[in-house]
Amino acid sequence: MKILVVAEMQLGKLKPSNRATIRMAQDLAAQDGGSFSMVLIGHQLDDTVGELNKYGADTLYVIDAPPFEHYLADTLADAICKLVKAQGFDRVLGGEATTARDYFPRLAGALDAGMCRGVCALTQIDGATCYQRPVFSGMALRTERIHTPIHLITVDPTAMGEPNEGGAGEVVAFDASPQDNANVKFVELQRAASERPDLTVADRVIGAGRGIKSADYLDTIGKLADKLGAAVGATRAVVDAGWLPNEFQVGQTGKAIAPKLYIAIGISGAVQHAAGIRGAKTIVAINKDAEAPIFKIADVGLVADLFEAVPQLIENL
Amino acid sequence: MKILVTVKPVADPNTPPAAWIDSEKGKSGSVNYVANYFDLIAVEQAIRFKDMGVDDICVVSVTDESKMAQVRSAIAMGANRATLIDPGERKLGAYQLAAAIAHEVKKEEPAFVLMGKQATDDDASQVGPILAGILGWPQATFVSQIEFNDDKSRVKVGRETDEGVEVLDVKLPAVITCDLRLNEPRYATLPNLIKSKKAPMEHLKFSELGIEDSPRVTVEGYSLPEGRSGEAKMVADANELAATLKEMKLVD
Repeated sequence: MKILVVAEMQLGKLKPSNRATIRMAQDLAAQDGGSFSMVLIGHQLDDTVGELNKYGADTLYVIDAPPFEHYLADTLADAICKLVKAQGFDRVLGGEATTARDYFPRLAGALDAGMCRGVCALTQIDGATCYQRPVFSGMALRTERIHTPIHLITVDPTAMGEPNEGGAGEVVAFDASPQDNANVKFVELQRAASERPDLTVADRVIGAGRGIKSADYLDTIGKLADKLGAAVGATRAVVDAGWLPNEFQVGQTGKAIAPKLYIAIGISGAVQHAAGIRGAKTIVAINKDAEAPIFKIADVGLVADLFEAVPQLIENL
Repeated sequence: MKILVTVKPVADPNTPPAAWIDSEKGKSGSVNYVANYFDLIAVEQAIRFKDMGVDDICVVSVTDESKMAQVRSAIAMGANRATLIDPGERKLGAYQLAAAIAHEVKKEEPAFVLMGKQATDDDASQVGPILAGILGWPQATFVSQIEFNDDKSRVKVGRETDEGVEVLDVKLPAVITCDLRLNEPRYATLPNLIKSKKAPMEHLKFSELGIEDSPRVTVEGYSLPEGRSGEAKMVADANELAATLKEMKLVD
């Protein structure tokens, strides 16, 4: 096995999800005493290399050039394809995210390789490593086996433990010779400014559902979040209503999160939302409907009018 | 202008997971099939482009004849015709599906391809970008906004990403996959459903397309995720909730 971890950048920083990907690479490598390598792709990465190069990788390839400043599927897939072919990697791992969901399958097309998305566990069947992943909105798990020489895996960032720290690998600059890509041009990223922690890695998350009735109430939700140092997430209904931008959505079509504490406020707990909070350690639900499905998956429940309960909770915490 | 749109019949998302697993294992059961919702968004978008000069919407579906009704519903919405690629007894993987669709794209030469961003059964979210990779076309996934430039040689799209809405300027032809908030698909009316039976429908067999027969990824088994154990501890009011959270050391 020759394993490559694709470490990703997000808004100029290493993505937290890289840690889960590295951990799965370490677990895979441990199976045959093998080692693993990493690749970091972006622009002006000098400060980032040291931060990444502490997990016992053999080699850290760095692809640093202006065309990689903004994420583009075509450019990234081309660069990784070149590295994989040049070095003969046969296991390529990335972190499940809207980026990897975009460029990994393109890589699968280019490398003619089988791919499993959002893998949450490794299993052995007849001596072959197989990959378990959630399907059907997270309501079922499926074990998949890849038959091509190259395996492409994206790792569910909520499913793995922390990576083991280790020595620094040799840093090698890799020239992927990116062409100026006139086919796809990055225009802009429209992003809601927020000082709160990143939703996907926050230890505490406050989730807002349709029950909050209007965008105005998000101020109060925000006060609770700030009191607890929590991130704010939302259901599809809240995002569809335009009360919060799409990047706040938690669930099947949004983000999967695994905080230590999730407080669901005015959330009924539909399957699509539940799929995104499966990994939460403790779920607290506040809802006025005692029959709401959220109480079936919650650890602590309060049946109450949220407009009374949330301000009281803020006061008492 | 011609657009190719893909439609996958999938098990109704409301099917109990155990029944869905049985149906995937080939056991007979009472699973209802519907057109993948994200694909209907793609069909709707294609129809909305009709006043922008789109006059031929070709639906491609890799499915057997028993699920023709789900493909017809796209025609009843407003698509012009459909091509059905019958996989026979094969369980096709994402690469083979993409290769089959690529076969049709090469034949039809559409201005671009519109697809759902993922199927709601296996949630793989792979066929669109694999197709783009096979064709060597630009791709734009998870699109929630789309508009043509003046000479319709490019589109400006907004993509829903983890970081926010990413705006790209993409040269056509391209593969575009549609996200939830692109539009709200219309319902097919009964008269249109009846009319759709007369729409041109081409029938192909996967085995005749010259695509490698062995899947790159196979399914080895299914299981149900561990449920969250135990009953919720119910508290009476916000004061008790705050005290409980402190007691459980979940807050300081």
